Formats: sequence, structure tokens, C-alpha cells
Amino acid sequence: MKRIALCFGTLFLGVLFFSVWTLVSGPVDVPFSKLLDSLMSPDSSMVSRILWELRIPRVAAAVLAGMSLAVSGLCLQTVFRNPLCGPFVLGISSGASFGVALALLAGISIGHFGTLGAASVGALVVTLVIIAFASRFSQSSVLLVAGLLLGYFIDALVSLLIAGAEGESLQVYVAWGFGSFGRLTLDGIWVFALAVAVGLLPVVLSMRYLNSAHLGDEFVRGLGIQVGRSRLCVLVGSSILAGAATAFCGPVAFIGIAVPHLSYLMFRTTNHRVLLPGSALCGSLLALVAGVFPQWIPLNAVLSVVGVPVILYVLVRGARQGRSL
Amino acid sequence: MNSADELLQVENLLFGYPGREPFTSAFDFELHGGEVVALMGENGCGKSTLLKTFAGLLSPRGGTVLLCGRTVSAARSADRMSDRERARLVALVRMGVAPPARMTVREFVSLGRTPYSGILDGRSAEDEKCIFDAMDLLDVSRFADRAIAELSDGERSRVFLAQAVAREVRVLLLDEPNAFLDIPRSHALFRTLRSLAHDRNMGIVVSTHSLEYAERYSDRIAVLDSGTIRVAPASNARAEGLFGWTGEF
Repeated sequence: MKRIALCFGTLFLGVLFFSVWTLVSGPVDVPFSKLLDSLMSPDSSMVSRILWELRIPRVAAAVLAGMSLAVSGLCLQTVFRNPLCGPFVLGISSGASFGVALALLAGISIGHFGTLGAASVGALVVTLVIIAFASRFSQSSVLLVAGLLLGYFIDALVSLLIAGAEGESLQVYVAWGFGSFGRLTLDGIWVFALAVAVGLLPVVLSMRYLNSAHLGDEFVRGLGIQVGRSRLCVLVGSSILAGAATAFCGPVAFIGIAVPHLSYLMFRTTNHRVLLPGSALCGSLLALVAGVFPQWIPLNAVLSVVGVPVILYVLVRGARQGRSL
Repeated sequence: MNSADELLQVENLLFGYPGREPFTSAFDFELHGGEVVALMGENGCGKSTLLKTFAGLLSPRGGTVLLCGRTVSAARSADRMSDRERARLVALVRMGVAPPARMTVREFVSLGRTPYSGILDGRSAEDEKCIFDAMDLLDVSRFADRAIAELSDGERSRVFLAQAVAREVRVLLLDEPNAFLDIPRSHALFRTLRSLAHDRNMGIVVSTHSLEYAERYSDRIAVLDSGTIRVAPASNARAEGLFGWTGEF
């Protein structure tokens, strides 16, 4: 218990530290004294506007996206009993990309919501297809393969759109694909937060399933848990979380697949009552750390170039100590 | 034994998988508190399927399965008990289940309290006591924080039993629990089953291929053979020709 409390405390302090760092540092440095003033009583000064219009949405985007992708990845790894699963595996991210590709490359706009609306609709459509699959097929492996194939199919459609795209729109699409925490607006924070809350709810309510899912459907049913309904809840929640993060920040790779492993190595438990909040905090921290790099460096490049060696080191070290995946 | 002791009652049961022939003709069967019944038969005769049907994980093809007087079935029906109620009364222990490499003994035994937990799957002080007692009873406390994957087969079989004991079920069903155990550990396991049945008034059905353990540790022996089920007291099973299917008698 002490270890778990210590890990939570460390992660929380880390999130707090990097949130403040993100707020005060950048092309225009914000003194710490001014930070508190501007947060408590916003005014029309440049510092206040930078904080409220740029940096607070950036912090919120990193925290919410990191949390969403990490929880989504943990849930999918648990449901499919596969440590290589992540939010991208079910094609949700591909769906969002397809929506954006339709809007940017083919000029098929979705109302007046622009890229965000297109990504949301794309992710939602794929989510609905997955839910339809999940309610028809009880085997996790069938669902996993179907999700992968769906992702490949959508990626192929996107590449067709890319092949016929014009230079300028292609550039905008490629920039979207780099992923960024800088697209969220102050007004959008509440929508993103609401989407995250809606996605987390069915996941949290399926805690009994998540804690036993690793042992197989028959074992879970033996514990008195309704497998089909619980799995559907977790998949819906995971899809909403991954879809929301992709819609608001673009396809952010790596967090969803790596954070659940980091979280386990820190907390050393399979109890999702610990792993879920642990992964959420760990994901937020990783996203915030990636966000402090200069904005001209693509977010996905930062996450992969800096993150992969660190995660590999941690995993190899864990495996040597008998704490393998 | 009177009818009040009947934990599991089966009437006109036909069991098997949908779309296939039932394994046996319809039969009746009762399991009493404090009793150990050995379930025997050739590979593929339907022992595991019958245990799943007793556990409510597979719907009967015909007839009824009553658990403590209430209908148990995998299919939805108005009078059937809820999945949670079922899980508090019966546990099917299969040693072939592969726990995740990361799961510790304590975490696995703790899953036994899932049928009693709230929506957030917390554990009360009472749950913790049940988990502690179960681990103590099965002598697995000393490696409670080790990963199950690191345990020997004998240790693992005790952990699986501890999980079912923590559940405080009335009926315990075991599918070939000594399949991976050596002779001393098999004897130890069956002695544990006997004392569980006696001390906790549990009804236990255990499938096994060993005539020796069946005769020595069970009260009755049930044999699935040639589309029928025959049941006899363990002391009379040999005389009544229940072991003809083995080819030795």
C-alpha cells in the first residue's frame, strides 16, 4: 500500500510540476507571480491572454489526451489479453484520420465543425462498427482481427485520398497527422473533458470485469459477471476515449500502448482499481513531458524518439528482474 | 441424508453442446453437503461438459439443475437465479486456466470475492478476512505476493482451490485437479478436498482418471460410459462393475 501511495503521490506531483512548467515556459516566459494573478483574476493583458487562450488549453489537452489514450490502451490490452494492443488497434484512430482526410483532401465537409467534427464523426462511425461486431461476436480474438482489418481497410481509403490530393491540402492533412496539443481552444476544453468523462464512466463501471478479464471468458462468467455486456461497455468507453483524443489532438501514438506497461511496472499490481487511475496519471505526465518540447517538433516524433528508448530500457530492466510483460 | 442436505439436484438432465447429440440419456442426480463424488469416464465422454452444466455455465439440453433448491441455467428465464447468486453458491475450478504472468497469488485469491463486491470491485474487511482465511487454510499465505506463474503445479492447485474457498461456495466442482500433480501432491489435494467437504459441509464433485483416488477419497463414484451415467458408493463401485470402461476389470 505504501508503494502504491508513493507512486500516486510522485505521479501527481509530476503532473502538477509539468503543468506549471507548460504554463510558465514558452516563447514568452510568464513569471510565477503573474501566473497566480492571471489564473485567479484573468484580465486583458498579454500574459493573461497567452495563459488562457494558449497554455491552459495546451495543458488541458495534454492531461486529457494522455489520460484518455492510456486508459483506452489499458482497457484494450486487458479485454484482448494482448500486451501489444492500443487505441490504434481497433481502427478508431484510422476512422478519425479518414474523417479528416475526407474533409481536408476530398473537400467533403461535415457541417461547420471542421477538422474536429470530421475526426469525431470518423472515430464515431468506426466505434459503432466495432460495437456492432462486439455485440455479434463473443470471441475477443475475432474482434481483435476484425478491428485490425477495419483499420487496414480505412488506411487504404485514406491513402487513396492522399494519392489524389492537392499539395496544400495534403500539407494541412500531414500536419494534422503529426499530432498536437496546441489545437484545443478554451471553449473546447469542456467538450473534451465531457467526452473523457463519458468514456471513463462505462470503463469504471466495468471494474469487476476488467479485474478478471485476463483469465478468460469462462472464468469471468463463473464469477457471476456478464461478459458480453461488460466487454461492450469497456469497448464503448475505450473507443470514446481514443476517438476524443484523436479528434482533439490528432493521432497521438505510443501513449496508449506503452503507458499501461509503465503503470504496471510502477504499481506492480493487476488490480485495475489501481492501474486505471495510475495509467491515467502516467499518461497525463508523459503527454505533458512531450508537450514541453518546442512546438515545431511533431508531437509523435517527440513521443517516439524520446519515449521509445526510455520505455525499452524500463521494460528490459523489468524483464531482467522477473517483472516481464 | 435428507433432502435438506441436497445442494445440487438434477432431474431428467440432458447435457451437451447445442447442435450436437447429448452426451447421455436423461438422468437424475443429487449431491449432498459434506459429500465428495468422483466423476469418471474416458476422455471426451462429457465430464467437463457435465461440470460446466452443473456450474450453470452451459444450459442443459433438457431437464433441470437446481442449486440449493433454485434453478440454475446459463439461459435467461424468469425463475433462474442471478449470475451473482450462482457464483456465490458454486465454483468450477479448472487447473488449465492460465492466470496472467503478472498476477500474484493474493490478487488471484481475491478474485474469489468478486461475486460479493460492489460496482467498483472494492474489498471490505470481511472480504479481506475471507481471503486471508482461505490462503491460510490452503497454506498459500507464505507466497501470497509471488506471481502465480512462478509457482509449482502443486502450489498452483492450492491457490486455485483457495480462490474457490474464499468464495464461500456450497458446491465445488473440480475438473481433473490432479492432472499435473505427482503422487504425494495428488494425495494431499484429495485429503484437502475431503476436509473441505467435512469441515465446511460443501458438496464436491471432482473429475479424475485415477481409480485409486476415487475409491479412497470419495463417497460415491459417478461414471459416464456409453451414453449413460452410473452412480454407486465408492466402496461398492468395483463390485457393481463401474470400472468396466477402464478395460482392466
